[in-house]
Amino acid sequence: MDTDEPVIKPPKRRYLISRKVDRVFLNLYDVYTFVLRFFKEVFFPPYEFKEIIKQFYEVGLRSLPLISLTGFIIGIVFTNQSRPSLTEFGATSWLPALISIAIVRALGPLVTAIIAAGRVGSSIGAEIGSMKVTEQIDAMEVSATNPYKFLVVSRVLATTLMIPILMMYTVFVALMGAYVNVHQHEQTSFATFMVDVFDAITFLDIFASVFKSFLFGFTIGMVGCYKGYNSSKGTEGVGKAANSSVVTAMVLIFIEELLTMQIINAIRSM
Amino acid sequence: MKAAESKRLTVVGIFIFVALIIFIAGILTLGGQQKRFVDTIKVYAIFDDVAGLKTGNNVWFSGVKIGTVKDIKFYGDAQVRITMNIEEASIPYIRKDAKARLGSESLIGNKIIEIYGGTRRSSTVEDEDVLASEEALDTDVMMETLQKNNENLVSITSDFKTLSNRLVAGQGTMGAVLNDSLMADNFRAIVNNLKQTSSTTLRASAALSRFTAKLNTPEGLANQLLTDTAVFNQIRSSATQLEKTAAAAAEMTQNLNETSRKLDDNNNAVGVLLNDPQFAGSLKNTMVHLEKSSINLNEDLEALKTNFLLRGYFKRKATREAKQQERQQTREEKHQEKVNN
Repeated sequence: MDTDEPVIKPPKRRYLISRKVDRVFLNLYDVYTFVLRFFKEVFFPPYEFKEIIKQFYEVGLRSLPLISLTGFIIGIVFTNQSRPSLTEFGATSWLPALISIAIVRALGPLVTAIIAAGRVGSSIGAEIGSMKVTEQIDAMEVSATNPYKFLVVSRVLATTLMIPILMMYTVFVALMGAYVNVHQHEQTSFATFMVDVFDAITFLDIFASVFKSFLFGFTIGMVGCYKGYNSSKGTEGVGKAANSSVVTAMVLIFIEELLTMQIINAIRSM
Repeated sequence: MKAAESKRLTVVGIFIFVALIIFIAGILTLGGQQKRFVDTIKVYAIFDDVAGLKTGNNVWFSGVKIGTVKDIKFYGDAQVRITMNIEEASIPYIRKDAKARLGSESLIGNKIIEIYGGTRRSSTVEDEDVLASEEALDTDVMMETLQKNNENLVSITSDFKTLSNRLVAGQGTMGAVLNDSLMADNFRAIVNNLKQTSSTTLRASAALSRFTAKLNTPEGLANQLLTDTAVFNQIRSSATQLEKTAAAAAEMTQNLNETSRKLDDNNNAVGVLLNDPQFAGSLKNTMVHLEKSSINLNEDLEALKTNFLLRGYFKRKATREAKQQERQQTREEKHQEKVNN
């Protein structure tokens, strides 16, 4: 049988630069609209208080044991590793000051954010991703529930508000771990230790850490939600979303840490 | 379900509350330590060089933190004006004539402003006052002094090295003392001698002690000399007489000196007699002539004895002398007989 009918080729898609480059910019635009939508949704009712509280609990309290243990160990390890260098100069009395600067300025927010990114970011990505691939989000839209508000706003709010609080716990616990080590080796009293700790830091350090934690929390929540919300290809996509959430959040956290450090140092030197 | 939600809400609330307490406690502690929440006054000080002082550095008075550096600005030509926030609680102790100087919390610590001095004559410091400043000790000057000290130390240790080498080699007295066995024996002997000397001295001091005890006896001469006023007056009188005698002797010696000096001169009879050789020659001739004259005179006198005018006299004289001689002889013989009997 002859096939006289001409073969119809699908129209060739035209890209602005190339397929991959164009996809990068399209993704950026998606991210932009996704983030912008958060700010549009967060200030207007209805507010999903129950879901927000639930996420507070999941993000904050559930992470507390892991964060506390990590913080305490970091305090001890960092103190122990710093001691030999200071001992060479006969300056072990500076350990509390060194530890407080390191923990308050950098380690506290960073460690909290990284652990939260690993634990919370992946869980958000996986949870929303599974809802996406099982079309639960579509079902919510059909049932007149705003899935973005219910799923994204609550989780991003939870991470944004809970990470700074977890950071405070981390700093406190890490300082206690450092005190245990310092007291064990130098017999420094708690009062002296705390005076030295607070002598080395400023309000700018504390506010910078809190600000960074807000930023890290927002990033973790937003990346997890975005990756989950845009996951596809079934269960494989869920795994990818969870993995991608952690990796992307961590990379962004380090980039943000670098940028905020530069900004804070510029403010400090003014 | 509701109970579970309520429990979750409570737990989240507690979680946030505790975190806020930690945060607020930290803020308050930091603020309290940095004197952020206390009433302060502004005090200024002007320096030529602030040596890296920064805003927020501490201000100390008598070793106590009383405030912080609020502001650092250029002033005048090339000076720097420091604005300090001083807490009001410390104001009664800081006087207007107190001074500010740059210091350091430790050898490698942060810079600080140290307020010191001030007298009671001056009133307490007030808001917007300017404290006199004193330049800090320059680190370069300190290092220069330290370098000099190091050079001196090197020189001293070098000298000590030479000294110790000589000691080890047995050179010099100390080296010989340390290394020469003969010297050691001598030293041992010296020490033994010293030991004996000390024991002798001990005995001598004991004897001296006994002697002084005797001197202190009431009837002793020394005691009387020291205590009896009559004896003392006598001694003083004797001393006065001795003094006069000595003065007279001195005068006599002076006279004798003068006499001997005159004897050496030729302008007096004795001096001429003793010193003039020409006169001595003349005198000798005179004496020769006199001897000859006396011989001649003797001859003349012998001749006169035989003269009839004088013969009778000489005969009577011879008779008288003979009688006197006989009487003398008789007395001697009687005396001899008495002695023999």
